[in-house]
Amino acid sequence: MNPSGFDREWQLGELLDSAQLSRLGAALASLLGGDCAIADGNGQPLLGHIAPTARRQAIALELEPVAILHSASADDRQLAAAGELLHAVLRAQVRFRMASALHLEAIAEDFESLKREHAHLLESEARYRKLAAELDARVKAQVAQLEERQQMLYEAEKLASVGQLAAGMAHEINNPLGFVRSNLASFQRYLTQFAALRGRLSADLAAWQELDLDFLVEDGGDLLRESDQGLERIARIVGDLKAFSNVDRASEAFTDPNDCIRQAAAVIEAQLPAGISLQLDLLPLPSIVCLPGHLKQALFNILRNAMQAITDSGQPGTIKVSSEATVSGLYIRIRDTGIGMRPEQIEHAFEPFYTTRPVGHGVGLGLSTARSIVLAHSGTVSLSSQPDAGTTVTMTFPAPP
Amino acid sequence: MPELDDKRLSFKLVYYGPAQSGKTTNLLRLHDLLAPEMKGEVMTMETQDDRTLFFDLLPLGFRAPSGLLIKCRLFTVPGQVAHDGTRKAVLSRADGVAFIADNQRSQETNNAESFRSLTENCARVGIDIEHLPLLVQFNKCDLPTAVPEAEIRSRWGSTPWPLQFASALNGLGVRESFATLLALLYRRQNAEYALAEQHGLSEAAFVAGLLGQA
Repeated sequence: MNPSGFDREWQLGELLDSAQLSRLGAALASLLGGDCAIADGNGQPLLGHIAPTARRQAIALELEPVAILHSASADDRQLAAAGELLHAVLRAQVRFRMASALHLEAIAEDFESLKREHAHLLESEARYRKLAAELDARVKAQVAQLEERQQMLYEAEKLASVGQLAAGMAHEINNPLGFVRSNLASFQRYLTQFAALRGRLSADLAAWQELDLDFLVEDGGDLLRESDQGLERIARIVGDLKAFSNVDRASEAFTDPNDCIRQAAAVIEAQLPAGISLQLDLLPLPSIVCLPGHLKQALFNILRNAMQAITDSGQPGTIKVSSEATVSGLYIRIRDTGIGMRPEQIEHAFEPFYTTRPVGHGVGLGLSTARSIVLAHSGTVSLSSQPDAGTTVTMTFPAPP
Repeated sequence: MPELDDKRLSFKLVYYGPAQSGKTTNLLRLHDLLAPEMKGEVMTMETQDDRTLFFDLLPLGFRAPSGLLIKCRLFTVPGQVAHDGTRKAVLSRADGVAFIADNQRSQETNNAESFRSLTENCARVGIDIEHLPLLVQFNKCDLPTAVPEAEIRSRWGSTPWPLQFASALNGLGVRESFATLLALLYRRQNAEYALAEQHGLSEAAFVAGLLGQA
């Protein structure tokens, strides 16, 4: 047994101290007619002297003797009776000792449990503190993100209204453009008529020459031609803008996607800085029912990204747009030789408001809008890119039935 | 753990289980039913309304052919939830456990709770329940509200522990449960204490010695 456990087999010496034993021994001696000696279970005398002629009576609490009572003066009956008494005393003692030892063990055990629970509580408190701190940090981060997105949304709306304004202006510019061109044409005719005056003057050319009207007529014609070319350019830009913003065709139409590519390309071409070239490699496509304005918006967004990617690379480059129709669908590929994207950028590229540019230089809606448009046309858009190796965006549309 | 000196080998077996499942009754009936070479009285610690406060103890013993005294001390734990500290102290150093479940449907939760406390307390006092000789007895099978044996077997059949069905009050299944636990104890301890080799004790002789059938 564990020497300190309640469940050990108790020895006589533990059950009765020497004072208790001698008091008990004295009482037993009187009952036994004078002589009484008590030994423990191993025969070791604890009280009195064991006479050689003594009778012995073993007292067991469990299985083996815990005490042996000796007396030379008592008869068997007396010895048995005294043994019973000693047994009763020892039995009461062992019950008391075991119960109190067990009680102590249980108290210690309960105390250990309490300490364990206390440690658990401390631990969980620390965990909750940490959690609270983490939550606080996350809330702050989310608030910051919300503020940033709000700013972006504001800019996106601003941009949208700028687009509407541009479309409206394009429309308005068309009218004065028309009559200015018409007026210039009339003026060209007037100048011709004015030149005819020289023939009529025949002899008296002094005033004509003095006023250097020959130069005036000649240079006036050049000026008018140049102005006409300028106006034609304005008209083309306005035309592109109108086609692009699709003010006049907001509804579905049966359209050749290649036309959308050409129109979006025309707009981006006017913005291309030196060193960036645009190359169209378009194979015939079947016409599809689509929203041409939206499709052009999507193409324009991707083309603009391609242009920026090349600009960012700091080197001259090319944007190649190709299209083809196969049995599985219509494919439009836009490939640039720009700086390319890292895997984590690709992962987020289609998320709204994801941008690698500083606030005010792009809101991160370009690819997201493009994808929404392509999805609305039952198509898909995918992106493959490697850093410094350029980017290819592929749009796929189902083949028309 | 068993306690060995040159003359005796002592095992501690603990009757564990929910309150009033019949642990003390098992011990009292064993005292009446068994007739080993040596048998002590049941020592019952103070009780309160028939419920064990500390523990009960029944010592049994016999001599192996080698002369070694084999002792088996059977303890019960107090079943009431409040006495968990006492239960843990009684359980510590146990060499085997008889889990006495109250086989009435209304007691299923208490049984489960008590069994959970057994596994937890085993871990706390350093007993590896995986290798602990453990018997599960479903007591009070004589009551009309008892769960049928087939149902118990289908539910507990997959566990590694032998099952016994008993009615301790009527003395049924008590001895069989104890014999089963003794066999488990022997298989666990035989190699370590060379019971067969040095002391000439087979499993049957070991069980019979403590039951008193020799």
